[in-house]
Amino acid sequence: MNKTKGAFLIARNNAQIDYVKQAVFLAKRIRKYLDIPTTILTDSVDYLKSTYDETVFDRIIPLEYNPQKNERVYYDGAMYQKQATFNNRSRCQVYDLTPYNETLLLDTDYIISNRLLKNCFNLKDDFLIYKDSTDLAQVRDEQEFKYISDTSVPFYWATCVFFRKTQINEIYFNLLQHIEEEWDHYRRVYQITSGLFRNDFAFSIAIHIMNGFTNGTFAKEMPGKMLYTTDKDVLEFLKDDQMMFLVEKRNYLGEYNALSTKGQTVHVMNKFSLNRIIDKELANE
Amino acid sequence: MDERLSKALDFSNYMVTLNNQKRLLTEKYQENLLHFYNGCQFTVTKELINFVKLLLDNHQDDVAVLTDDNGIPTIVDDIEKFYNEIFNVYFEASNYYHTEYMKLKNQRSIEKLVDYEQN
Repeated sequence: MNKTKGAFLIARNNAQIDYVKQAVFLAKRIRKYLDIPTTILTDSVDYLKSTYDETVFDRIIPLEYNPQKNERVYYDGAMYQKQATFNNRSRCQVYDLTPYNETLLLDTDYIISNRLLKNCFNLKDDFLIYKDSTDLAQVRDEQEFKYISDTSVPFYWATCVFFRKTQINEIYFNLLQHIEEEWDHYRRVYQITSGLFRNDFAFSIAIHIMNGFTNGTFAKEMPGKMLYTTDKDVLEFLKDDQMMFLVEKRNYLGEYNALSTKGQTVHVMNKFSLNRIIDKELANE
Repeated sequence: MDERLSKALDFSNYMVTLNNQKRLLTEKYQENLLHFYNGCQFTVTKELINFVKLLLDNHQDDVAVLTDDNGIPTIVDDIEKFYNEIFNVYFEASNYYHTEYMKLKNQRSIEKLVDYEQN
């Protein structure tokens, strides 16, 4: 395999969610569908080595354990929720940390189920990111994934980003680090009411700035469209490229409709149900 | 519950699931229509196929400039080969879409619609 191309995952566990487990699961799927190596950045290296098969990773980059005060609510279906730390402050350093010239940066809950993203490496554009997205349930207001706030700039998904090491992308990622450091300022300038740092917002703001504070062509669209389910839906079944979800039913809290996908990559935001499914998969191996 | 209402609600759930599956199948169709050529992405549409055929019919079959989905111009140096490729992509995607759509249409239960018989 060509070492200059690869995927990059970040796994920082909190008290409720095992992101390392998700990363191990996703690395296997990346190898299966995209045939590229995966590097992991984690603050749980010992846990990874003692609990899972570390050979699924091309490289393991240790990260200092540094718990944050970024708390948020995680749902497990519409009726159950837990509060946990949102350890998301490492993504902006990926440009410096990635060992690859061409990197596919993914969230660990982005379940690769086809070969589509392999085409990123053959496209001419040096920076690709999803803007268009579709909620599988189609019963919720999708406005929060169209603009970063009601009066602000377009929303881009930091969930899945492709970039090459170029001077311009270096400027972009340095800008991201600056936005992260001065988050309280930028979130006010861009009229974001919540103080919670979100990578999607930081990536969107940085794209807006790189485009000369307007809409522009700095960021190109990834192939296809981002399909997602929120944490109020439940992943019920997964086998190979087939997934079955229970998605929220309109106006009936706690009731669901069944929905299945085949050969479609989906961002599964309900991390609890994803981990239950991974447990089943690992038990069957 | 009144049996008439109960049956109507069952059917209503079935229709919601059917429409969801149809929508996802359309998304997959759109994805399958993507063709990657010379570092550019083209969504194969009837319009693109017809335009490329027009180039061929007017003997512009050597080199032509086309713009991709991101508005990037690229030189297509073998129009006939490109035409054959997009033609294949279109029909492979459309045939798959048709087959899966017909399968969906013939399913009469929610379990069969979501193909959930594994457990």
